[in-house]
Amino acid sequence: METLSLWQSLIIALWVAAVMSRSLLGGATLTLRFSPLMTGLIVGIVMGDVPGAMVITAAIQLIYMGVFSPGGTMPSEPSIAAAIAVPVALLGDLEPGAAIAVAVPVGLLGSYLYQFRFFINTFIGKWTDKAVEKLDDGGIFRTVILYPTLASFLLFVPLVFIALYWGAPVIADVIEMLEGTVALHILDVVGGGLAAIGIATTIYVIGRREYIIFFLLAFFMSVIFADLNITMVTYAILGTLIAAMFVLVKSNNKGVTTGSTNADFDDDDDF
Amino acid sequence: MMTEIKNNVAFDSRKQPEEITKRDVTKTYLRWHFANEIPHSFERYLAPSLLWAMRPILRKLYKDDDALRAAYERQLLFFNTQLTWGGGIITGLMASMEQERAREEYNGEEIKMTDDLMYNTKAGLMGALAGIGDSIDSGTIQYIFIAIAIPWAQNGSSLGALFPFIFFATYQVLIGLFFARQGFTTGRNATTLMQSAGIQNVIELLSILGLFMMGILAGNYVKVSSSLEFSISGRPFNVQETLDSILPGVLPLTVVLGIYWYYTKKGLKVTQALLWLTLILAVLAAIGIL
Repeated sequence: METLSLWQSLIIALWVAAVMSRSLLGGATLTLRFSPLMTGLIVGIVMGDVPGAMVITAAIQLIYMGVFSPGGTMPSEPSIAAAIAVPVALLGDLEPGAAIAVAVPVGLLGSYLYQFRFFINTFIGKWTDKAVEKLDDGGIFRTVILYPTLASFLLFVPLVFIALYWGAPVIADVIEMLEGTVALHILDVVGGGLAAIGIATTIYVIGRREYIIFFLLAFFMSVIFADLNITMVTYAILGTLIAAMFVLVKSNNKGVTTGSTNADFDDDDDF
Repeated sequence: MMTEIKNNVAFDSRKQPEEITKRDVTKTYLRWHFANEIPHSFERYLAPSLLWAMRPILRKLYKDDDALRAAYERQLLFFNTQLTWGGGIITGLMASMEQERAREEYNGEEIKMTDDLMYNTKAGLMGALAGIGDSIDSGTIQYIFIAIAIPWAQNGSSLGALFPFIFFATYQVLIGLFFARQGFTTGRNATTLMQSAGIQNVIELLSILGLFMMGILAGNYVKVSSSLEFSISGRPFNVQETLDSILPGVLPLTVVLGIYWYYTKKGLKVTQALLWLTLILAVLAAIGIL
């Protein structure tokens, strides 16, 4: 049974902390946190097996398909899930399906940790008030950016490190014992169906009930054309054209728009 | 030299607010984009990020300590929104409103840009824009990039991770800057920007595209099939083959629509839906139906 070295565990733990503290390029951490893909890639680089890590991460990505946090609450933390599940799967030479069995519970635990971060920041916020009172701009920077970031590192680095350095080999052993039993067939079935959650969530959040037609159209297109190996890019272009046609026809039917100027989407901006 | 005192603010040219330029607005938005979720707390959510983002502009506008402190406190009130749509429009809008307020204070005019008006504008927009922004950015555009990249990841390519990350992160900065500038130039009329036909059409197009891509994803990646086989009077009977011959993809579609129906009945309870689905699938798998 292989294990992770001290350095490998530490680098992955630092990456997770950088993502979960939300300080790594700031707003760019949104997709680093919601999607396991980049975390899986980092694990692959650290463990020297990028192709293997990407295959497993793709399976984890599928169960989190469409998941995001309307209003800020997340049922799970895909990045933390990948940070633990991908090393375990690589160490134990497990099937991608089995990696999901590790990812789901870890992701759930991760979401509690993320909530705990808000709790810590609530106390740091008291110092922000003091800095504002004194008009102390350095103090505002420290209490808004620096201390919350440090606190997140203190929270995530030790826990993720311990989970990887001592926990990963143990978890891998347990999963290996399950191989060939009905337990793994159950995991495969559950893993195959979980992608439906994110997809249904997205349909619901977009929230235009009459537009479910477009979902059904695309679903049957992808089933009918399954053997043609049409790429996702092609489908995205098709979808854009269908959507554009619909919007065009609809706005022509409206005739005169109600008093609002038809401002072009990208006038007078200069990227 | 003027020595007239109005509103307890000495009226002298050293305290004149500086001009807020397009560059200032860009800088403010980029500061917001960086600080966004770092100080997230239960008490004020993202307000500290907004204060930190606005700080250089507020320094340029208010040369009087008490007025500056009041402005800091105004931007530290409870604030929670989405990064680009909400954050972009509101940072631009607040910059233009604070500029107007500073001008009124300096000229000793009657204050029309009151604290209440500023906060109500912020509060009125933050929820609505978060709803639109979350479903379009995180829920739709992010997953379109991910959907395109998944096949690459399945083949073991690092492009499967790098492509969606780079494209989505870049998109977010650009769209956020666009909204911040729009918010600054439209000033208090930000609501008209959001109601303009152009923006409404774009939202509609993206909603449809989002649903379309979800359909493709459901068809390709929701794997639910029956492993049930039995023989009827000597002939083998495979349930999945029979289903495929009637309506291919009927099981995955049933699962997705079933969860959607659950949401329409119970509201958006993602964790509950996750637990129910896991339980149902596990039981059906254990007894050999799936």
